Amino acid sequence: MAGAVGGTLLSPLPWKLTDDAAIWSQNWFWRPSPARGEITRKPTVCALCEGGCGVQARLVDGKRAILLEGNPNHPVNQGGICALGAAGLQFLYAPYRIAQPLKQTKRRGDPTGFQPIAWNEAVGELAKKLGQMRADGKPNGLAGITRRRCSSMDALLNQFFAAYGSPNLFKMPAHADSLKLAGAVTTGREAPFGCNIEDAPYILSFGAGLVEGWGSPGRMQAAFRRWRQGGKSAAKIVQVDSRCSTTAAMADRWIAVPPGTEAALALGIAHLMVKDKLYDAEFMADRVFGFEDWTDSQGKNHKGFKFLVQTDAYTPEAISKLTGVDPAKIRELAKEFGTQKGAVAVWGQPQGSVPKDMYNELSFLALNALKGNIKAGGAIGLAPEVPLGALPELPGDPSALKGLKQLRLDLASSQKGPPPVLPGNNLHGFLDAVSNGGKYPIEVMLVHEANPAYGLCENKLFQQALTKIGTLVSLSSYMDETAQQADLILPIHTAFEGFDDVIGIPGAPYAYYGVCAPVLKPHLNTKAAGDIVMSVAKQLGGSIAAALPWASHEEYLKKRAEGLAASARGALADKKGVELWKLQPEEAVKPNYKDGADLWKKLAGGACWYDAPVDPLKDLKTESGKFELAAQLLLAKGQTGDDDQVYLPHFSQVPPRGSDKDYPLLLVTYQMSALADRDLANPPFMTKTVFDFILRQNDQFVEINPATASELGMAEGDSAVLKTPQGEVPVRVHLYAGARPKVVYLAQGLGHKAYDEYIKDKGVNANGVVEVQLDRVTGLGTVWAARAHLRRA
Amino acid sequence: MSDTGHSEGKLRYGMVIDLDKCTGCMACSVACQAENNISFRADESNKLRSITWMEIYHLNNGKGYPDYQFAYLPRPCMHCDAPHHSPCTFVCPVNATTRDERNGLVTHIYPRCIGCRYCMVACPYHARDFNWWDPAWPKPMESMLSPEVSPRMRGVVEKCTFCSHRMMKARSKAYLDKADLEAVEYTPACAEACPTKAITFGNIRDANSEVGKLIKDPRAFRILAKLHTEPKVYYLSGHEWVRKQADNVVKG
Amino acid sequence: MDKALIPEGLKRCPLPVFGIWALILLAIIGWGVGAGAMVLLKALNVTGLNDYFGFGAYITVDLAIIALGAGAFFSGFLYYGLSRFFPALKELYKIINLAVIIGFVCYTGAIVILLLEIGQPVRGWFPYWHANVHSMLTEVIFCITCYAIVLLIEYVPIILENRKLQEHKAVRVFGHSLHDCMAIFALTGTFLSFFHQGSLGGVAGVLFARPFAFRGGFFIWPWTFFLFILSAIASGPAFTALVCRAIEKVSRKKLVDYSVYELIGKIVAGLLSFYIVLKIIDTLYWAFVQSPEFGFTLGDFYHGSAYGIWLLITEIIICGVIPAAVLLTPKGRKNSFLLFLMFFLDIVGVSLNRYVMTVQAIAAPVMPFDKWEVYMPTVYEVAPSLAMLAYCVLIISLSYRYLPLFPREKELNAVYK
Repeated sequence: MAGAVGGTLLSPLPWKLTDDAAIWSQNWFWRPSPARGEITRKPTVCALCEGGCGVQARLVDGKRAILLEGNPNHPVNQGGICALGAAGLQFLYAPYRIAQPLKQTKRRGDPTGFQPIAWNEAVGELAKKLGQMRADGKPNGLAGITRRRCSSMDALLNQFFAAYGSPNLFKMPAHADSLKLAGAVTTGREAPFGCNIEDAPYILSFGAGLVEGWGSPGRMQAAFRRWRQGGKSAAKIVQVDSRCSTTAAMADRWIAVPPGTEAALALGIAHLMVKDKLYDAEFMADRVFGFEDWTDSQGKNHKGFKFLVQTDAYTPEAISKLTGVDPAKIRELAKEFGTQKGAVAVWGQPQGSVPKDMYNELSFLALNALKGNIKAGGAIGLAPEVPLGALPELPGDPSALKGLKQLRLDLASSQKGPPPVLPGNNLHGFLDAVSNGGKYPIEVMLVHEANPAYGLCENKLFQQALTKIGTLVSLSSYMDETAQQADLILPIHTAFEGFDDVIGIPGAPYAYYGVCAPVLKPHLNTKAAGDIVMSVAKQLGGSIAAALPWASHEEYLKKRAEGLAASARGALADKKGVELWKLQPEEAVKPNYKDGADLWKKLAGGACWYDAPVDPLKDLKTESGKFELAAQLLLAKGQTGDDDQVYLPHFSQVPPRGSDKDYPLLLVTYQMSALADRDLANPPFMTKTVFDFILRQNDQFVEINPATASELGMAEGDSAVLKTPQGEVPVRVHLYAGARPKVVYLAQGLGHKAYDEYIKDKGVNANGVVEVQLDRVTGLGTVWAARAHLRRA
Repeated sequence: MSDTGHSEGKLRYGMVIDLDKCTGCMACSVACQAENNISFRADESNKLRSITWMEIYHLNNGKGYPDYQFAYLPRPCMHCDAPHHSPCTFVCPVNATTRDERNGLVTHIYPRCIGCRYCMVACPYHARDFNWWDPAWPKPMESMLSPEVSPRMRGVVEKCTFCSHRMMKARSKAYLDKADLEAVEYTPACAEACPTKAITFGNIRDANSEVGKLIKDPRAFRILAKLHTEPKVYYLSGHEWVRKQADNVVKG
Repeated sequence: MDKALIPEGLKRCPLPVFGIWALILLAIIGWGVGAGAMVLLKALNVTGLNDYFGFGAYITVDLAIIALGAGAFFSGFLYYGLSRFFPALKELYKIINLAVIIGFVCYTGAIVILLLEIGQPVRGWFPYWHANVHSMLTEVIFCITCYAIVLLIEYVPIILENRKLQEHKAVRVFGHSLHDCMAIFALTGTFLSFFHQGSLGGVAGVLFARPFAFRGGFFIWPWTFFLFILSAIASGPAFTALVCRAIEKVSRKKLVDYSVYELIGKIVAGLLSFYIVLKIIDTLYWAFVQSPEFGFTLGDFYHGSAYGIWLLITEIIICGVIPAAVLLTPKGRKNSFLLFLMFFLDIVGVSLNRYVMTVQAIAAPVMPFDKWEVYMPTVYEVAPSLAMLAYCVLIISLSYRYLPLFPREKELNAVYK
């Protein structure tokens, strides 16, 4: 035996085994070894949000995409990328992608009931159903919700709905909804305002989450880089915010106010600017209507803004009472803002997903008007239209016209009070009407690239409406909360696999167009959303097919680009150094492309098209021909009120539901740049970066001020129940000195009930506890706070 | 050799992070994960077990509302340039982690690491993470793995490499082009991704390079400079309260 | 068979009683082996370790057990090396066998725990192949394995003294010749062990970016290098004495003369006093000169109840100064209760020192914006550690039962028969 041991030890066997052991421990069979190959880069435009950033995918042998990086030649993000973009490929390769068309064969929402069906069957089924509805004379029974408001998909869906005969197409709510209507009120043009923020020397931000994203995260981060170049504050940023948000922390100054009182402070500053004559008097006199007292077409006299803002309601003392900001500080701010050349006021939530109250919009616009910002060369402009190729004229098909004659459901059946005078994209109103058994039933609802079941504020409205909807058809890439409820799922490509486009940058005053070109072939049995809509149209035939005459979505986009080329306007940014913010209004940008084909080729190669901003005061379509501080449009639409302030910017706040006694606190939800909310699930890479004071295991934390915590007898990490009139959720408590006393802050983007183990069941969905208030003027669902109660669990 | 114990070459890669520009957007950390095949798990909320090469710290000024202020501080590996050895390379029993004296990069050879974690203990910056589990990716996401960086195995330590694979690539190219190997420039994934360009990377020994200039900025500081670890990651901040948190200061 | 193995003329408990005792120990060992297997199978995520606490219970237990095992080499050094010059030390032959066995079990146990501790146990041999000569851990691994081999060689002749084995002539001759050259092994072991007790201290002391652990030193060795050696030799013999006393209590026999305990008490008293004086000097320098240079005050190193200043007071005053003072007095050594209590305190103090230098050293945050974390070992760390202790007890029990460990046992117990 000893011999055997000795012999073995002398043989190479043990040494070989030891050596092998080390090798085995490096290459266990379950450890993936990524295949090598040629590495290439393919530039495109990111479609994960509306920001319009240029990105490039790094590919291995053109088959696998391994990384998304910023495109240094792109003028919007200038080489940078946001966390969502950097993690973007995790959507492409997500385990929760839908691999083929599915049909629900059991009860709605039953995950075991989904059965794969063939594409032609799925599309055929939908077309048959829609054909039947039209034959029955009820095309208005079709409804739709899309997220892609800044894309040609929006135009395509509009065209389809119009040709089919339904007025019920909605978009997921956004700040642009109310900004557009504010544009209509003040300038007569239904276009959102944009701000040339990159070059502003002084930015007074009323709760605008500038560095958290503010419309286009790529653009804002690039702007922030300019403002903080070389350690100097090239721009002074003053942030008015109730919570020490990232923007507040990064700002030169943070003015803490109670939630929802930002507009009051704006008007308080306006008061002092008027009083101390710090406003642009020439501009107010020549180009603005309603600053002074005014007379309407009936000859009736009305008070102007100058009078209103000078009333006692807006003195520093009155505003101080409302906002808690020291009167001296308000005076200082007014002086700074009034005297600093080029100072601009901005507002709106971080990623712009919530519309604002009309009078709020008007108040901030008024402050900018006083500053003379709303003129050619001023910081505030109207988003210019992108002259893309027009869609075919609709033939005026009688069945379609019949459907279109029906009022949109939310307007047809608003049982609660008078309808809004200036209705916008009132998805909340619509869903409310559906669930209350509106004037006519919705038989088919198309949801395109949106996840209202999760991401809509007060999302239970969608759930309630769903019970009254015949068939829910989901055009989604992912098995999200909405797709789970669908009766038919038509899976679509992600933006990395099919053609798509981005029209305009939210919040930017210049014109922009970018094409998202596929970076690699689809790896699942999916289709482009446009192709699905077109094939449904083709099967419906007749005027509907004629309205969507293209062979494919790609061809449709090509035609749009050809139209753009035909306008002979704008130019392509295909190399470093294009500074969009330097463009002067109405500046003639010399086209640097040959023709439509050339333009398309370059667009599909990742370059973007841009054009100069427009003069917001050119050809004003208002009744006065001026920028209207006194909104004659509202008067014309029948807005009535006790006094003249209903036509003027003023501060009003609808108190949230519930009583102070039952709900002694306020709940405010906030967005973070590192937590995707609304329509996309936070990808695993990003979830990894979430701080452990926001999420620990499956528990989400609310932020409360240490003083509030001690009043409630709570300590860091305590479990609690957060209750609002909308519902209650289990949370844990994080003591945060940047939280305003008596206010509870909850981050948006968690609490999913779908997707995979990397995000499902983590935290709570803020959309389920927030409160939506319908704006009286526009009917848009606005959100500022909900009353809340926090108790120990 | 000089009295600092390592060769005084022309080349020392280093990083400057401008905290006044860092908005905590996490793009650097995410780009780093994607670039370096960093594994992730369903629950990553236990930060003491989460592999993050580029970790973002949340600093605050300790004041109450409304004087409260905070700042983000991204922390890659400091690639300490202390004489002779970095704290971690000094202690590794198997030479799995060493400093390349040609450029100052502190590297880690995963197949050689025995997982004793002595280097983690030695590092005061918590820059090193251990593979507590077998790394596993959901099947479709294996397609996202980069062939340029090998995935790690369980039981070994890993950390930020300053994207040394990018350096190797740039070096190979310079070699083929017969260019000066000591003048090779490259950018790690974090610096490339940063949307505000808060992260600058380059040769800190070159006074004319961008980083060479930035480290002379009056706002510049390093973390734990008192320990003489000589980190090659510099920070910039205009806030005194941030700079004060760089080093422990005996009060009084 | 059992009877036949028991050394001649000695009385041992009945086999069933011993069997139950062995079964209990085997159960604990089985539990620990099972837990250890889970660690190897599921990886270290089952432990309480994390990226903050890279070291924890495994290392603490290893350091402590190796320090206590130092009785082996130090007694060997005194007996084989110094008794030539100090005849009084010849007395130690009465306990030297036990010391060797304690050393053997402590070292072999520690190696097994070390294998669990590393993330890639199959690469456990890399330190020999890719050795980094600068690393204290390399020194530790080299010395620990070499010394374990030496201890095995020292243990073999004791085993060979078994009655049954002695019946074979070859064994007898082999055993005898081993005995003859034991001094060489003992001195080699002493050298190795001195060195690696020191390098264990060096493990903490060289962490120049960890102000809690870091110490300046002599040439390449930090002061902890020498302090660890001193504390090990000041506690190892105490541990041997305590184990011996425990065997006496359990077997209800007198195994060594009380004078041996007194002698050990005297040795421990001297060494412990020397150690504790140096330790206090080191602590004062660390607290009031070195740490402020790094920006720390003593208060920064202690936090809450888990890592409170009580650890320092317990280690130095209660488990250092007091036992040293008591053992220095002949009165204290004469009182057997006091003597063994002080031995016990000594052991607690040294174990606490190993814990503090391992766990608290990394619990104390270094970056100013870092925060304290608390380490709690899981059952997967506790079970193998207990199993290792059970293994030590089992080997000692077997050795005591079947080997003539105590040369004076027959005489000392004859009177009671």
